[in-house]
Amino acid sequence: MIKIEGLSLRLGEFNLKDIDLSIRDGEYFVILGPTGAGKTVLLECLAGLHHFKKGKVYFNGADVTRLMPEERNLGYVPQDYVLFPFIDVFNNIAFGLKQLKISTSEVRERVNKLADLMGVSHLLHRETRTLSGGEKQRIALARALAPSPRFLLLDEPLGALDLRTAKNLRLELRRIHRQFGLTTIHITHDLMEALEMADRVAVIQDGRVEQVAEPEKMLFYPEGEKVADFIGSPNILDCDYCRSLGQGVMEVGCGDMKLTVAHEGGDIRKIAILPRHIYVSETRPPGLSVNGFQGLITSIEPAGNTVKILIDVAEKSLLSEIPSYIFEDMNLTVGKEVFLILRMRRIRVYESSL
Amino acid sequence: MFRILKGAGGERVFRVATISAMVLLALFFLGIIASLLAYTKWDTFVSALFSEEILFAIRLSLMTATIAAVISMLIAVPVAYAISRARFPGKDIVDSLLDLPIVISPVALGAALLVFFNTPLGSAIDDNIIKFVFSVPGIVLAQVTVISALAVRLLKSTFDGIDPRYEQVARTLGCSKPEAFFRVTLPLARDGLIASGILTWARAVGEFGATVMLAGATAMKTETLPSAIFLSLASADVEKAIAVIFVLILIAVAALLVIRRIIGRRYRI
Repeated sequence: MIKIEGLSLRLGEFNLKDIDLSIRDGEYFVILGPTGAGKTVLLECLAGLHHFKKGKVYFNGADVTRLMPEERNLGYVPQDYVLFPFIDVFNNIAFGLKQLKISTSEVRERVNKLADLMGVSHLLHRETRTLSGGEKQRIALARALAPSPRFLLLDEPLGALDLRTAKNLRLELRRIHRQFGLTTIHITHDLMEALEMADRVAVIQDGRVEQVAEPEKMLFYPEGEKVADFIGSPNILDCDYCRSLGQGVMEVGCGDMKLTVAHEGGDIRKIAILPRHIYVSETRPPGLSVNGFQGLITSIEPAGNTVKILIDVAEKSLLSEIPSYIFEDMNLTVGKEVFLILRMRRIRVYESSL
Repeated sequence: MFRILKGAGGERVFRVATISAMVLLALFFLGIIASLLAYTKWDTFVSALFSEEILFAIRLSLMTATIAAVISMLIAVPVAYAISRARFPGKDIVDSLLDLPIVISPVALGAALLVFFNTPLGSAIDDNIIKFVFSVPGIVLAQVTVISALAVRLLKSTFDGIDPRYEQVARTLGCSKPEAFFRVTLPLARDGLIASGILTWARAVGEFGATVMLAGATAMKTETLPSAIFLSLASADVEKAIAVIFVLILIAVAALLVIRRIIGRRYRI
């Protein structure tokens, strides 16, 4: 268990204020917040890379506040991976193992095993600067896991990767987490990533913990205006019935709306979709449109770089959020009839009624 | 009035101006070297070069400069690391102080050293520990005094260019601070270390002002290559002076070529 008590730290522009957090054993814990919220600084505090006067950190009940980074036995994967450029992939993974008093043959054995697990065996003798982002991230993970750390700290592990690689790694991170049962703290600014991966999420804004909750709870019951603003008030619909269409796809009925969602398993009680995942169009979208509806605009409200549009669909009110530059190219007014699409892959489904 | 300098015409004028400045400067240096060649005759050049006195000067210069460069690097590595990484009050003052030897005339530094060895503490060192004044250790000390600040400056920029996160990651992987320095920072600084070492060594070979003040320029005793030029010209032996100048040019070119190769590989100044 990791416990942070009253941690306060001012470091340049960053300012952590009285952080209290406790992360359970074996938990996949995501710290979510906008850029500049102090997430990275907080993670670095856990790794022992900053000295702070106010506050305590406990690992499994033991006070580690004053321990040096090398005494903490943590796996730390920084942003941009920070692989050592002067040694090859094998020696990068073996770096931490060489600090342990184990034989060369055992080092080799453990590196090979981890490389296998991370699918980088074919890269062991490559130089690090010739690798792709996804490869670097796998190697940084293997390097962090090699000395069998107590906890794993991941700083924006998917941030710099292209979408496909990020998706693969997302699954892999969860798999590693299951396999090692390793308490993991993962930092991100991406809401969907947090909701998808976390056992629990902590939202941090301006150096303060605003809310700690399970992803669904965070989505449905954000505490305070700041969290609600950051989460962006999702559209939540109660479902009256659902029916499997096979191949991992289900049809759900929410009032007069019929939706297709990706889901396998039990009955769906609620679905949620973020405003930014509802697309608005003046004309009927060409081709077969899954989850396409027609509705009436009831309000338009600019919100910074985006515009929030409230649309009545089948006696329900859905909120859509589109970038301002797209809004300006369209001719949307209150009372106008529009077409909208709820992106199937972005619909989250919930079996419990919460 | 500056209308002509607008647009494409301006770009052309600017290009011509900068490139001609470059060409003129290169011609100036070429002219100097050409005048040396015009003045010298091959057989007298060779006999001057292989005279006992010049061979002695070459040996003495290479030896003292190498020792001075090694000592300077050993001092400069921790100093440069501290200036680059540590935060402490008054750091700016210490930093500026360490720049002084680069801008102060070497003659002044050498004279100051000579004055130091006339103080009770200085003469106690000179009499009982190592004899510096008018001796070979004096040459090394003079060179170290002049080049160590340069070594610090060069190494500081090397350490500045190394992301401290490498060390941080090494520490989370179980390295203590010194272990992280030796396992990560030094290997990352390798090219910078080599380049700085060669540059400071080359500067030490060319050092004259401080050396002549502290160690003097006695033939076959404390006569380094720059001192040899001075002594030759003082006795109107131009042939000998030119021979030594070519030796110095040769050393400088070799040093620059080695550094170029390193820079070509990875290192950026």
